[in-house]
Amino acid sequence: MKQAGSSDIFSIKYRLERLKRDSNKWSIFTLAIILFIALPVISIGVKLFAGPGETWGHIVDHLLPDYIGNSLFLVVVCSILVLIMGVSTAWLVARFEFPMREQMEWLLILPLAIPSYIVAYAYAGLFDYGGSMDLIFRWFGWDFIRIDIMNKTGLAFVLSISLFPYVYVSSRAFFLNQANNLLEASKMLGVGEVRSFFKLMLPLARPAIIAGLILVLMEVLNDYGAAQYFGVNTFTTGIFRAWFSLEEPETAVYLSALLIVIVFALILIEKWQRRNIKVSNSKSNITYIHRKKGSAWMQFFILLAVLIPVILGFFIPLVQLGYWAILTAHNVFNMDFLMLSLQSFGIAFITALITVIVATLLIYFSKWSFLGFIKSIARLGILGYAIPGAVIAIGIMIPTLAFDKWLINTLDYLFSIKTGLLINGTLVALVYAYCVRFLAVAFNPIESTSLKVNNTIPDSSKMLGVGNLKTFFKIEFPLIKTGIFSALILVFIDVLKELPLTLILKPFHVNTLAVKAYEYASDEMVMEAAIPSLFIIFTAALPVIFLNRLLIKK
Amino acid sequence: MLTISSLSKSFDKGKSYALNKVSFKLEKGDVCAIVGESGSGKTTLVRLIAGLERPDHGTIELDGEVVSSLKKLVPPEKRKIGLVFQEYALFPHLTLIENVLYGISKQKNKQERAREVLELVGLTSMENRYPHQLSGGQQQRVALARALAPNPSLLILDEPFSNLDAMLRMQLRSQVFEIIKKTGVTAIFVTHDTQDALSVADEILILQKGEVVQKDEAANLYIKPNSVYVASLFGNTIQLNKALQTAFECPLNANCCHAIRNESLTINSECEYVTHAKVLKKTFLGDNIQLLLKLDNGEQLTVLTKERNIEDKITIGFNSKDVLEFSS
Repeated sequence: MKQAGSSDIFSIKYRLERLKRDSNKWSIFTLAIILFIALPVISIGVKLFAGPGETWGHIVDHLLPDYIGNSLFLVVVCSILVLIMGVSTAWLVARFEFPMREQMEWLLILPLAIPSYIVAYAYAGLFDYGGSMDLIFRWFGWDFIRIDIMNKTGLAFVLSISLFPYVYVSSRAFFLNQANNLLEASKMLGVGEVRSFFKLMLPLARPAIIAGLILVLMEVLNDYGAAQYFGVNTFTTGIFRAWFSLEEPETAVYLSALLIVIVFALILIEKWQRRNIKVSNSKSNITYIHRKKGSAWMQFFILLAVLIPVILGFFIPLVQLGYWAILTAHNVFNMDFLMLSLQSFGIAFITALITVIVATLLIYFSKWSFLGFIKSIARLGILGYAIPGAVIAIGIMIPTLAFDKWLINTLDYLFSIKTGLLINGTLVALVYAYCVRFLAVAFNPIESTSLKVNNTIPDSSKMLGVGNLKTFFKIEFPLIKTGIFSALILVFIDVLKELPLTLILKPFHVNTLAVKAYEYASDEMVMEAAIPSLFIIFTAALPVIFLNRLLIKK
Repeated sequence: MLTISSLSKSFDKGKSYALNKVSFKLEKGDVCAIVGESGSGKTTLVRLIAGLERPDHGTIELDGEVVSSLKKLVPPEKRKIGLVFQEYALFPHLTLIENVLYGISKQKNKQERAREVLELVGLTSMENRYPHQLSGGQQQRVALARALAPNPSLLILDEPFSNLDAMLRMQLRSQVFEIIKKTGVTAIFVTHDTQDALSVADEILILQKGEVVQKDEAANLYIKPNSVYVASLFGNTIQLNKALQTAFECPLNANCCHAIRNESLTINSECEYVTHAKVLKKTFLGDNIQLLLKLDNGEQLTVLTKERNIEDKITIGFNSKDVLEFSS
């Protein structure tokens, strides 16, 4: 009820007074974190004003159509392939009973444990002259029909089989949690399984499916290793070429800006397609799913259908790599390699720790701020995950280099201290970039567990005379430990697998398993890449299973 | 001890007000109930007093000190207010005694104080249990003990009994308010159940759509409600509109609204205003029977009665002293 005289409460004067009253240090800290995370993108935006490099005109005329065409091709073909594989397997696993169904549930996630560039190496080796297929064919005494996969179609295939689990996971979560009541209602109305799927489930699951698809497309645009190995020119390889071969940062910046525009367009499309959909409370909808059990033949075909993507995306690359690992173990496996692995794990661990801390601070600082807009701004922090690693790397290069130059000059001028670059080209810049890129990976699990803690719990702590920070350590932290733990593991794996950003920003003497595998593959020693690759895969595979457990618990 | 003036809060930047210019005072040692239907702003009001929400306008004074105004906001942890939440909000990872100790960790004789309040609520034997091992009523009492432990100058209970079943509710209500009276703490409790309010509160504040409609002692509110809304909060009322007035042949002041409590209606007995009625439908409700009546002039009326033997044709009536008159 609005009364006469109430309106002046919302006059500018009163609003400003309340803004002054309600601004606290947490609001400022939140803004500071967001600025820190957004700095790479801001730098790219600012750097655009410096104009493009000399070769920009040449690139626009000759290379850009190729970059756009190939990236678009990959986006379209990968979308089709991952939708077919991801949604069908999710539906079959959620709705039907068949032998090994429970094992298939987590096996279908395993392809995510292998970075796409490593899948690319494995498939290239498989179909190469003298490769595994060749050997097998000859062993049977057949003629080897070589399939050339070192092209954009092959690349789309490789990316799809390694990334479809994103769609599988998001659509299965929907089919498990939301769909059952509706499906039962549909059955009661006499609508059959197939028709229910197309008429009811598919439209309802669309937001979940597309959310998974967007993640796939971001990975597709982020990929450098696989495209480079297959010789396909994409935006990301273009950024690398501009940076390393042409040594034209301005051109890399322009390409990065274009890629950012494309990615944000994708995000907007995703938001738009969800505009009319309310998130329903899944809690009240969870019922025991009665899975359909078909004839023995039908069960066999379902098993086969869900097995094929797993074989393609996980077991074939794994066997190929295992074979190579045996052949090259004596060359690769030595003290240096162990040190490198330790270094790689160490970097991943430190990054995971820092990223989780930043994500937790962001979540709780914005919660303790009383300003509504701060809470919306805080969510911008997680957009880093959408931005391709190469772009973030370029965005970090610019400000850190400028800062270092300023610092060197200032120190020299004021104290006559001579120093080298302090941030750029050091681990600090690398960890900073990882943190920007993987903040969302930490943010999401921590946020979702923190939302399960009813607000009245911290509120009652405050009513008992305890401030925000102490409340966090005494009450909230113990209650969100699982979220923090899974965030740590997820970031750890993502850092371990990361390639493009690491290639650009890693200090000269530092190496990671991913970079080592890449270097072997680039130096025509792809067999040697198997052992570092397997290290990554085994480290990543265990928590993939763990992640699935979490999902089921939900 | 608590003075609230012109307190306003909007959650949509002034389009609507959850609270609109609420003012009232509370004396030390009083127990005040805040009553209103859901959405009337009860919970917003107590959250503003507690400091968990920030008002858009108005001031709150506690013990002579301004704790909330446009210029200044004392954070909730510095207000010395105890709050018992509707869902109790016990810390799930702490034992019962740890929950109680939480707010008094800086006091010297904290162990004694914690045991003291646990004894007050009768849960000493369970101090090492975790909240999930307790029943709803026990959790409620722990929440009360925890809020009382730091000796708050004001205790707020937000819908304290709404999560309990009817039997337990009555039992616990008397227990809880016995404890509150014993400690002599000034208390505010929010409820939508007027039984709760009438039975234990010294004073009742009625909220409707974010505004104070009436504030008075319990008995006064029941006898002299100042609006149909207040009257209907405290029991079934029947509004005496023009048609009913003609049916009962009782001309009333046309500038006022009138109502009669269901309990003041009598069936088949002598009174000032009567009319004949045909029983269209009887619905058995257990303690009451609901009658759908058709009056002589064709008007339909629903009443509740304890009378078991109702014939198809009855007379129904009331006395003028029972008519409630409202100015608006």
